[in-house]
Amino acid sequence: MDILFSSLAAGILFGMALSLVALGLTIIFGVMDIINFAHGEFLMIGMYTGLLTAKAAGIDPLLTLPVAAAVGFLLGIACYLGFIKFLLRGPMIAQLLGTFGLMLFLRNLALLIFGPNDRAVHQGLLVGKSFDIGLGIIIPATKLAAAGLALAAFAAVWLLMNRTRTGKALTATALNPQGARYMGIPTERMNALAWGIGCASVTVAGALIVNFWSVNPYIGLLFTMLAFAIVALGGFGSVPGAFFAGIVVGLITELPGFWDFMTYTFEFDWMLDVPMISFKYMWVYVAYFVIMVVRPRGLFGWKH
Amino acid sequence: MEALKNAFDFSDFPRSDLIIAILVGAAFLIFPLFPHSAFAIATMIQFFIFSLYGMGWNTIGGYGGQVDLGKAQYVGIGAYTTAVMLIRWDIPFWFSMPVGVLFSVSWSFIIGYPLFRLKGHYFAIATIATSLVLKDLFEVWDFVGAARGLEISPIKYAPPDFLRLIFREDVYYYYVIFAFFLLGILYMNWFRKSRLGFQLRAIKDNESVAQSLGINVHWAKIKTYAIATAFVSVVGSFHACYIKNIEPEDTMSLNLSILIALMAMLGGAGSLWGPIIGAGVLIPLKSYLKEWLGASAGLVGIDLIIYAAIIMVISAAEPRGIWGLVEKIRRRRSR
Repeated sequence: MDILFSSLAAGILFGMALSLVALGLTIIFGVMDIINFAHGEFLMIGMYTGLLTAKAAGIDPLLTLPVAAAVGFLLGIACYLGFIKFLLRGPMIAQLLGTFGLMLFLRNLALLIFGPNDRAVHQGLLVGKSFDIGLGIIIPATKLAAAGLALAAFAAVWLLMNRTRTGKALTATALNPQGARYMGIPTERMNALAWGIGCASVTVAGALIVNFWSVNPYIGLLFTMLAFAIVALGGFGSVPGAFFAGIVVGLITELPGFWDFMTYTFEFDWMLDVPMISFKYMWVYVAYFVIMVVRPRGLFGWKH
Repeated sequence: MEALKNAFDFSDFPRSDLIIAILVGAAFLIFPLFPHSAFAIATMIQFFIFSLYGMGWNTIGGYGGQVDLGKAQYVGIGAYTTAVMLIRWDIPFWFSMPVGVLFSVSWSFIIGYPLFRLKGHYFAIATIATSLVLKDLFEVWDFVGAARGLEISPIKYAPPDFLRLIFREDVYYYYVIFAFFLLGILYMNWFRKSRLGFQLRAIKDNESVAQSLGINVHWAKIKTYAIATAFVSVVGSFHACYIKNIEPEDTMSLNLSILIALMAMLGGAGSLWGPIIGAGVLIPLKSYLKEWLGASAGLVGIDLIIYAAIIMVISAAEPRGIWGLVEKIRRRRSR
């Protein structure tokens, strides 16, 4: 039973970190209806920022979050003003392929600068420590911290979107850009802000994830796909949806490992051929496809 | 008979275009007779392969306006069918290729039916999901070699083997794919003037109007999706015989799907020459940048940085592609 609780706990914690990754994507999609293939690349940039700042300044990786947030915010705004603004005028296919170009660009820039090797955080306040909270649940401290901070970041974004004038303006831009412009909302600036917030949240997620996941220039695509799945499950443009769907996806990725454990322990011979762990991400994609087809606006979607 | 006449009828293009097309075609025909490097002919074969992929994508994505980012799964199905049948049961290309098309088209009907209930972005990302699921399955399926992939060893056969399409020199492959390429152009020329072609353009312009005109929108999309699939699957089978070493990563990945869409978009989606122009620009660019900058200069990634920058500039500045630019100039001149 222990292992079940452990995988549940690990799934929920990882899911919280993942939902922070998806938050940026859902904000950007919600405000301007553009699918950002480069999303995972921003995560990678956040991971490298966390890693390198920690190494250069000799501080704990968890303390580099403000740096990552600032880098992400500026990068997001720069991307919007320098590139995405022009893409928005074109048809949908040009938008998709344009952000794909951005993804290739950032990935190969990282490859050129940092090289293809995996890098990981080896020292830190929390790295390698874990808590045993009874019932056989062992929780790595890094994941717990990541989940907690992700929760905090989520709360901050939710408050910003729902309790401030800027948030109202963002929502108005999302619902009807033309109407918002007539009401005197600077929609162009709101779009740039959405990119800034979106990228900042994903780079923060990167700086959190780098504590327990090694980084290389190719890491982005996996997280882009996971983020797509989360956003589709939770509903495009829905902030609470992203949070709950993130936890669901986290559980989906952890439970196959538990299934394997069962088959090995109880010797279900018919299952031993292919370990379920190799289908870890496939179940995510299956869930994503089924939700897309059955309920395109997602579980919590408000915009369609 | 009528269909055949339509396929050979290019009279709605300006004469200058046709002269250029015939000259370029003739140049392609005699290209292998002149001295050339092995690299050049390999690039030419890649160009033909990708312009055929682009033509297939262009039916659904260009004429129909349904952005499909899952075409690579059908490349995979075609390639794997041919490779498995050749390796396990020694079935030649010309028999395994139709079987591959059959598999691909059946699969496309199965997933196309639910997929086409979606529109726009939702459709695009759902196609990515199907492609990824299939790739993950192929990566663990032992029968098709799992993640190691399959290798066709040419030693067992006596090249040139026209039945199994196993050759030692690239020239043979060049002419086989060139023949496919010409057939593809003729088919597309017929397709754009067919009933389905006109229905698709109506759907692209305004779906509800198309529906009110009595077009069965859902079924028209599914049919076109199957046509696009068949195109891609045939070329996928050829790819297996040509490359001789197939893995899930390079036959079914998302990168390939997007590259296919990119060919058509860059050249000009929804036009006959668009995918060909797109492939003619992108493929040589990609392979020569890699040759000159990537491998020899020792700078990993710089070729793809330049390539990505070009994609970004084109999609931001001229989203209708090169053919769109040509048409814009023409319209300005005729005014």
